[in-house]
Amino acid sequence: MNILVAIPLIPALVFFLFFLLPRATRTKMLFLPIGAMAVSLVLSLMAFSTVFPGAEKLAEHGAQFTSYTIGVIGGVPLNISLRLDALAALMLLVVTIVGMAVQVYSLSYMKGEERIGWYYAVLSLFTAAMLTLVLAGDFLLFYMSWEVMGLCSYLLIGFWNTNDEARRASIKAFLTTRVGDVGFAIGLAYMWATVGSFDIPTVLGSAHTWGPGVATAIALLLFFGAMGKSAQFPLHIWLPDAMAGPTPASALIHAATMVAAGVFLVARSLPIFEASGVALQVVLIIGATTALLAASMGSVQHDIKKVLAYSTISQLGFMFMGLGTGNVSAGMFHLFTHAFFKSLLFLGAGSIIHSLHTQDMREMGGVGKSMKVTTVTFTVGTLALSGIMPFSGFFSKDLILDHLWREGHYVIYSVALASAFLTAFYMARLWFRVFSGTPRKAGHAHESDMKILSPMIVLALLSVLAGATTLVFGEFLGSETEWPSLVMGGASTIVALSGIGLGWALFGNGRDPEAVRARASKVYMIVTNRFFLDLVAEQYIAGGYNRLSEKVNWFDKKVINGIVNGVGVACRQAGTQLRRLQAGRVQVYQRLVVAAVLVLVLVAVLATGV
Amino acid sequence: MPILSIIAFLPALGAAAVMCIPNSRGLSLAKWVTAGFMVVDLVIVAGMALSFDRGAAGMQFIEKIPWIPSFGINYFVGVDGISVTMIVLSALLSLIVVFGSWSTDHRPKTWFVMLLLLEAGMNGVFMALDFALFYVYWEWVLIPMYFIIAWWGKEDRSYVSLKFFLYMLLGSVLILLGILAIYLHPQGGTWDMVELANRNFPVGFQMWVFGLFYFGFAVRVPVWPFHTGHSDAHIQAPTAGSVTLAGVLLKTGTYGLIRVSLPMLPDAAHQWAWFVGAMACAAILYGSVVAFWQPDLKKMLAYSSVGHMGFAMLGIASGTQEGLDGAMILAFAHGVITGLLFLVVGMIYDRAHTRMAPDLQGVGKKAPVLGGMLAFAAISSLGLPGLAGFAGEFLVIVGAWKSELPKFYTVVAGVGMLLGAAYMLWVIYRVVYGEPTETVEKSMPEARPIDLLTAGPLMAITVIIGLNWNVLLDFIDPAIKILTQTLVRS
Repeated sequence: MNILVAIPLIPALVFFLFFLLPRATRTKMLFLPIGAMAVSLVLSLMAFSTVFPGAEKLAEHGAQFTSYTIGVIGGVPLNISLRLDALAALMLLVVTIVGMAVQVYSLSYMKGEERIGWYYAVLSLFTAAMLTLVLAGDFLLFYMSWEVMGLCSYLLIGFWNTNDEARRASIKAFLTTRVGDVGFAIGLAYMWATVGSFDIPTVLGSAHTWGPGVATAIALLLFFGAMGKSAQFPLHIWLPDAMAGPTPASALIHAATMVAAGVFLVARSLPIFEASGVALQVVLIIGATTALLAASMGSVQHDIKKVLAYSTISQLGFMFMGLGTGNVSAGMFHLFTHAFFKSLLFLGAGSIIHSLHTQDMREMGGVGKSMKVTTVTFTVGTLALSGIMPFSGFFSKDLILDHLWREGHYVIYSVALASAFLTAFYMARLWFRVFSGTPRKAGHAHESDMKILSPMIVLALLSVLAGATTLVFGEFLGSETEWPSLVMGGASTIVALSGIGLGWALFGNGRDPEAVRARASKVYMIVTNRFFLDLVAEQYIAGGYNRLSEKVNWFDKKVINGIVNGVGVACRQAGTQLRRLQAGRVQVYQRLVVAAVLVLVLVAVLATGV
Repeated sequence: MPILSIIAFLPALGAAAVMCIPNSRGLSLAKWVTAGFMVVDLVIVAGMALSFDRGAAGMQFIEKIPWIPSFGINYFVGVDGISVTMIVLSALLSLIVVFGSWSTDHRPKTWFVMLLLLEAGMNGVFMALDFALFYVYWEWVLIPMYFIIAWWGKEDRSYVSLKFFLYMLLGSVLILLGILAIYLHPQGGTWDMVELANRNFPVGFQMWVFGLFYFGFAVRVPVWPFHTGHSDAHIQAPTAGSVTLAGVLLKTGTYGLIRVSLPMLPDAAHQWAWFVGAMACAAILYGSVVAFWQPDLKKMLAYSSVGHMGFAMLGIASGTQEGLDGAMILAFAHGVITGLLFLVVGMIYDRAHTRMAPDLQGVGKKAPVLGGMLAFAAISSLGLPGLAGFAGEFLVIVGAWKSELPKFYTVVAGVGMLLGAAYMLWVIYRVVYGEPTETVEKSMPEARPIDLLTAGPLMAITVIIGLNWNVLLDFIDPAIKILTQTLVRS
């Protein structure tokens, strides 16, 4: 079998099998999804090796391609296809490595859950969908797997669905992302009407001939889809709530892979954005706005997972800023490093939550002394995210800043720098609250087992090492990358250090965070209320829709059905009245006959024109 | 071998056989005899579909014998790819419904007779190629449906069955007028529906006849604002009635438009497209909005059908290959998925004796398989790629954008996708998820083998079509291509 088909198919088959098996059997067969994941990982490495290290190798092997006719429209086959290129190979690695880490980790984290078999089934389906998405050779298959990922996200967020918060969050996540998908779907329709194909190379190859208006429209419609999936302002509101799902699932789906799919979509279809020009500006602006707002909201959260969720939103904004400069590497390199350090941070947070049974940072403290491995790995993740040399986040963030400066986007650059400052601040705030000081309400922590720790160690290593690939990375994707320059790197380091410094000043040495809150201003209030966006979405949009639906129901019942019934009643009334004419009274009949004769005579006379 | 006649008359023969069963052995024998006839019928239908030449254009398995020679009326049946898919749907759902009502204890003999007669009529309507025969079958299906609602319905059954019947009859009268207008037109003069597609009626004539047919078919589909006959009927009808009504009977409406209005009146179809499209958009929005709040699950499904059939109507209005292909896939997929939804809701109702969502929270925890089936059906219905619901909706959106219809129609359809997800997820939220209510805790045993036998095939078909649209498109696409060429020529 073709290796490209096998990579996503194997986890998909595990899902189908688990779907059919009863719960008890699933629970005993957890080796299957993990084994499938391992096979996919190995196959992905093999696939990667056929295209690495770059153009020459690719030319030598030729692009690997396989297609399947899903339908036939007007006699013309409609194909969906898998295609391996550098971008796809890179994503394969990210997805399978993080996926593997999460699956091993979950064995311990989800142990004893009644529905653990279902959890693994959905993880497998997700993996299959994400692998299909990265390999998709056409936009139709891309969209299909995109939607299936959305379903898996929905199912995992609602995993503990007897909990109100979880079932609310799941529906909010699906619908908010689907708002974006509406744009994506219409973009595809526009694409089909323009090019008559969904094949990615065909579409991208013709993008420059569409004219800027069409290119802008299609690019923005696709980007709207990306905004939903990648949680960009103002469609970001679902991601923080999505933290109601199991933490390892958050690490995989809501940090490393699925939420990055929007970035991947824009990277894939960058020629359309370049043909438009305007669309690139929009990507820049949305990315910058999101990065800053999310970083500010992350700075006031008390729930450790929510801090990380806002951080993810903010970092996705960075990736979009990178792509907004028109450079694939700038966006994708940050996606690559972020996948490792952010999933590491989530898994670390999970390890802490697993031990302390709370997500509230105000109840934590002093974890550093009792959970050594977790502390070290989490610190690596923190430094990588904050952009400290020599951790990977420094290199990838610098690449974005560097391109922003070079392309002359000075305003965006300063927004990015401010976001980077806040990033370092909220991570320091988190770190000092959780790891330093003395244990608070949640009590003493104890270290997790090796199933939890070993994936974290692997991801920590990758978070350190990924930065070293800066040059190779650009060469591989065919868009230049450079080491950070002294000035740019220096500036970002100063910013990051001062963010950490502020965090230490406010929260170091177990300082009381409530004191900070006491100095809170209006700004603080607005930020803690998430700029009132969630309020608007939930109260006015969702609530308003509910009220509208109730009103329309009333209208339907009373007015439309009322008219229909009214017609029926009117007929019956007419019948009741007319019935009197046929009561069997000869006098009435006689009168009618006379009247009828008179009328007929009159008509006859008039008709003959006398 | 007159394979089509066998397909249509075998269930009627079965009905006669069931009537001969002595009352003492009513239920136990009647259901087996019914299932036997329907299985055989389904096998023959499958054989017909498999031997159908998918590459060839035009009608196949034609049978034509004089019926009422003095009026030139023939018994004329034949199928193209569109008909084949619809007959498969009809035979399939009819059988599934027998399993779904396996333990009917109220007048069981009559019940199964009605199901058999219903299938006979539905099979017939999709193969009739003579207008008179078409109209006979068109009316035929209403009679068993009337009795199914009137005798096995809920409290308000007599009012609702009458209303449903009269409403449908009103639509039928318009269609009859349309048929007569075409027959009496100098260029008409035949009942042959294949021949009439070549007659090029004058545009002025087409315009008003199209109107007659449109409103006639719209009542059946149902298109907003003619949907209240259906929604009331669903509330009162027994599960089997709802499954066949939503699953197959509605499709006779879209089928009629594709078989009659578009090929015979192509110019009018083009001129009226903006109106048909606008009404379709109204149905999409209206159906989805009403479905959202609706606590009664069956009523909610009735309105979701209004929304989904709105998509099919938009595809028909587009007049494009993509849109019409999509409309037909959607018609089939909606039959399977909505059938599944009604069946699962029926299973829940049989256990809890309520269909009110607020009373039913937590089915998923109490009965995971049953809740899972409902969630599966809901997710197929909201158009998840890889399941049957997606292909039709997507092709309709693509086709609508490509056509000359205003672009905002497509945007409305896109919003419809979102609203469709909203009400279906809301069902999962309210019924499958959450802590079980007292009602559910007391009354919700897990799915039985017969339930799995009922729902399983439909779930499997949903997956198969979702992963390979060609299962349907191989049949549909060539027939639609001939149709779109007619539309282009006009």
